[in-house]
Amino acid sequence: MIEFKHVFKSYGRGRNILSDITFRVTAGEFIFVAGPSGAGKSTLLKMIGGLEPPSRGSIEVNGQRLDELSARARPYLRRAVGVILQDTHLLYDRSAMNNVLLPLAVTGLAPDLARARARAALEKVGLSTKEDMNPIELSGGEQQRLAIARAIVNRPAILIADEPTANLDRETAHRIMSVFRDFNRVGVTTLIASHDETLMAEYASRTFRIDPGKFTDFSGKGQA
Amino acid sequence: MKTLLRQHRYALTVTIKRLLSQPFSSLANLLVIALALSLPLLGASLLVSVQPVARQLSVTPELTVFLKTDASSNTAEQIASKIRRDHADQTSAVRVMPKDTALKELRANPAWEQALKVLPGNPLPDAVVVTLTPGDDLAARADKLAHAWRSWPGVDLVQLDSAWVQRLEALLRFARIGLILLALSVALVVLATVFNTVRMQALSQREEIGVARLVGATESFVRRPFLYLGAMTCSLAALIGIGVARLALIPLNDALSTLAQSYDAEFAIFLPPLPVLVLAVLCVAALGALSARWSVQRNTRF
Repeated sequence: MIEFKHVFKSYGRGRNILSDITFRVTAGEFIFVAGPSGAGKSTLLKMIGGLEPPSRGSIEVNGQRLDELSARARPYLRRAVGVILQDTHLLYDRSAMNNVLLPLAVTGLAPDLARARARAALEKVGLSTKEDMNPIELSGGEQQRLAIARAIVNRPAILIADEPTANLDRETAHRIMSVFRDFNRVGVTTLIASHDETLMAEYASRTFRIDPGKFTDFSGKGQA
Repeated sequence: MKTLLRQHRYALTVTIKRLLSQPFSSLANLLVIALALSLPLLGASLLVSVQPVARQLSVTPELTVFLKTDASSNTAEQIASKIRRDHADQTSAVRVMPKDTALKELRANPAWEQALKVLPGNPLPDAVVVTLTPGDDLAARADKLAHAWRSWPGVDLVQLDSAWVQRLEALLRFARIGLILLALSVALVVLATVFNTVRMQALSQREEIGVARLVGATESFVRRPFLYLGAMTCSLAALIGIGVARLALIPLNDALSTLAQSYDAEFAIFLPPLPVLVLAVLCVAALGALSARWSVQRNTRF
């Protein structure tokens, strides 16, 4: 599903953010990416989503080598990977429903079908009653859930989330995590970057720990 | 196919929403482009209206051979016969205009009636009116014949009646080139206006473009609403420009009609025919889309 082979990442002539990373993720796994700020967690997730190219090494996602992927084919890979960035990147000039409809408009789905699917996605994240609200009217946790709804509405095979529970209270963080867990249970491979040790201990089945200059792959709960 | 059509419908909806979300800015852009387009349109209208007149006149090129006033009464007939005999291949008609007939015709014109009354006799000479066969080398041929006939005994003056038509043709050629330059300048105005409009739109939609790419939008999907924006703005502006030109022609034609009537003639400026106008709107729309594509390509590299 996801395979990194000796991947390095550096910006300009600076030091390597990520050095010699090799791992393999199979379909349906639930993985935490842990590590201190600036260790390269976000960069690793962005590379999986095809948003950042590696400096060296090869990455394979969903059976496709990213370095062999043409610029025209890249958007189609992104449809298979649901991305939730640290900043939710919600569009504040439209309703929650229209935010979720955007990925479906991109694929050209029939409007009635798209609406039904968007409504189902909002329902899954517990926002069915707020579909007409502007994201600015939603709380931080609700905005995160809206971003999740937008990421999963195209039924991606892989879901990546960068610090989705940052700045949220514990109860809301658990609610967000249980949403991810639900998607994972239906087969969506999920990778979440976080530095919340408690959440990792509770939810992780496998953890990648990134420290400056070191990458460790832990299997099992709370070993990071 | 259905997917593509849906994506186009989505792009069209987005474009209309974006246009309506900034009504004053959109309207200002439309008016700037419309007014700029109406100028070459008015020029083209003038040209297409004048051209048939010039063409009609130039197809009957005539040389008039005026005889000396003291020439004998049968000189005109002799010259006419000589022309028919010597230049049969270059002339299609030769007729004698006796001075009495010429005076009679002139008196029938109210503009000359009063002036001729005060003259003691007939100041006009006998004349031979020669219609030349049309052809590309008409001007050169007419000049050559006029030069030859001027040396004939009894001939006072040979006047090329189509000379002013040639001057008009030259003037129209000049106007055509001027119109092309004006059209090119307006095209640049349209390009610059659309480029800037799209640039502003692209910058204001930066977030949406970023999100669309994040969720798997192709570059065509991102660009499409901007192409529609360029094409729609320009085609709407072209339609408004046609309306403006049409309105401007009403007072212009009123003034022209009064002027033409004083010469006992009729003349009016008309817009180019409908197929030409439709083609013009399509060309302007294509220009808008082209400019939008250029702009969006340059301004969405983030």
